[in-house]
Amino acid sequence: MTATLMESGAVVERADVARPTFAAVLRAEWVKLRTVRSTWWTLVATFVLGAGLTTLICWGNADWLASPEADESPGSFITWGMMIAQITAVVLGALVVTTEYGTGMIRTTFAAVPARGRVLAAKSLLVVALLGVVGTVTAFVGYAGGNYFLDREGIGMSMSGDVLRSMYGSGLYLAGIGLFTIAVGFLLRHTAGTISIVLALMLILGNMVNLIPGAFGEWVTKLMPGNAGSPISTPVSFNPNLFDAWTGFAVFCLEIAVLLVAAYVVVKRRDA
Amino acid sequence: MIRAHALTKRFPAGKGETRTAVDAIDFVVEPGRVTGFLGPNGAGKSTTMRMILGLDAPTSGTVSVNGHRYADSPAPLREIGALLDAHAIHPGRSARDHLRWLAASNGIPTTRVGEVLDLVGLESVAGQRAGRFSLGMGQRLGIAAAMLGDPPVVVLDEPVNGLDPEGIRWVRTFARQLADEGRTVFISSHLMSEMALMADHLLVIGRGQILADCSMTEFMSDHATSYVRVKAPALGDAATLLGGRGLDVSRVDDEIRVVGLDAAAIGDTLFRHGLAVHELTLVRSSLEDAFMTLTADSVEYHAMTEGAAR
Repeated sequence: MTATLMESGAVVERADVARPTFAAVLRAEWVKLRTVRSTWWTLVATFVLGAGLTTLICWGNADWLASPEADESPGSFITWGMMIAQITAVVLGALVVTTEYGTGMIRTTFAAVPARGRVLAAKSLLVVALLGVVGTVTAFVGYAGGNYFLDREGIGMSMSGDVLRSMYGSGLYLAGIGLFTIAVGFLLRHTAGTISIVLALMLILGNMVNLIPGAFGEWVTKLMPGNAGSPISTPVSFNPNLFDAWTGFAVFCLEIAVLLVAAYVVVKRRDA
Repeated sequence: MIRAHALTKRFPAGKGETRTAVDAIDFVVEPGRVTGFLGPNGAGKSTTMRMILGLDAPTSGTVSVNGHRYADSPAPLREIGALLDAHAIHPGRSARDHLRWLAASNGIPTTRVGEVLDLVGLESVAGQRAGRFSLGMGQRLGIAAAMLGDPPVVVLDEPVNGLDPEGIRWVRTFARQLADEGRTVFISSHLMSEMALMADHLLVIGRGQILADCSMTEFMSDHATSYVRVKAPALGDAATLLGGRGLDVSRVDDEIRVVGLDAAAIGDTLFRHGLAVHELTLVRSSLEDAFMTLTADSVEYHAMTEGAAR
């Protein structure tokens, strides 16, 4: 059968249809991503929280930072909002995967694209691209807003060196978090579970391991994904004992890679 | 064509034990006719369908679609169209967008989306969020999705579940049309009455095993038998008399059941021999009864009510 006559009279040739190449799967996932509101809400929230809170916190602290009793660097404040914006990156990464499991749509997806690794790869690529761009733009706008108040107190920072790095570093960090959450989402298949586990790991556990005494505690603290990944998103880290920006980010990427491989193996084997 | 060979699926059931959902079944679903996949809930219908689509991996055995494993298909949606669960749609995405991403995934031209929406009669609500859809609209959307690739094989899991009579009729007509176009149509249901109206061929499954694999007409003549119930004061005499005429007579409690002659002829015969008759009834066992009898041992949960115990 090369062509079939449908009720409507339309004839579809089998030959003119491409196989589900990676490009096709990428297009399909892009249609999925842009046709639900949650994508846009989380991206808007990333921007508003990231840029807005940075501006707000700089406005509130500029005068103290300029004073002699300041014991923190303005560099720790100029991307402050990204600490909160990372929550929305987690939400986006989770929703992209777990709503499909929640509704059962994942079966439709895997029936249409039996090569499940392509689905994982396409989702990952899109979330990385979106969060990378939105994270970077957010950091720049936050800088513009925050630096305005720092400038007024004479402690403004020029857009170069570590400050510039923290701008695209914010994009990289958010992209990494989105990817991390995608992997966890494929492993857990549950929205609330995925979001709470990743947030607990990044925000709560990451700080609690600080309490473990000795060199062991120091290393565990350094290696926690949030602690390893976040220094790249700020010119000066609040915690001086963490890895420096690029070393930490490399560690973070390694952790993401391990999780992604685990997710790939499990998704390929598990019944959908 | 769908072909299963020794297809088996076991699930872990805790404490190191396994539950066999599908037990080494063999079957072939032929093109050009509607094959009904009939069985009580939990009989293994959905598991079988998921294995056909490569969603669940068989524990052992094989199943092929158009001669090869589904997962190896170069263009899956062109190979087989499936409706597994009408609820499996993102509630915030419109029907059109749902079909769009599916089309994109298999490189099917977007123009096809409008065609299948037309086909199922959803074009006027295509822009609405699918979360607002009734179950019937969801089923139609699922069928539209199945038809996107204009596939030679169509698999529908319980497509009439929750549909109103008009919707049921539509599915029935649609299935018939697909089979008439030469496609392989495989439809599951737990309702015999529905299958009787829709299917040409029956595959009955219970507790993971194939209980019957035959044409609808064969199934009817084999399983839906009828007999004439006779009650008479001289029951023994009546039984001897009718039995002597080569009829199949069995005595059950205070009645005899006669197969092979209609009620009027039986009455006349008894009358000619001066035997009084108190009751003469044609008892037709329905297809539903036949199905119940066939699967009686394989339903997972029995309702312990008077009505079910008849």
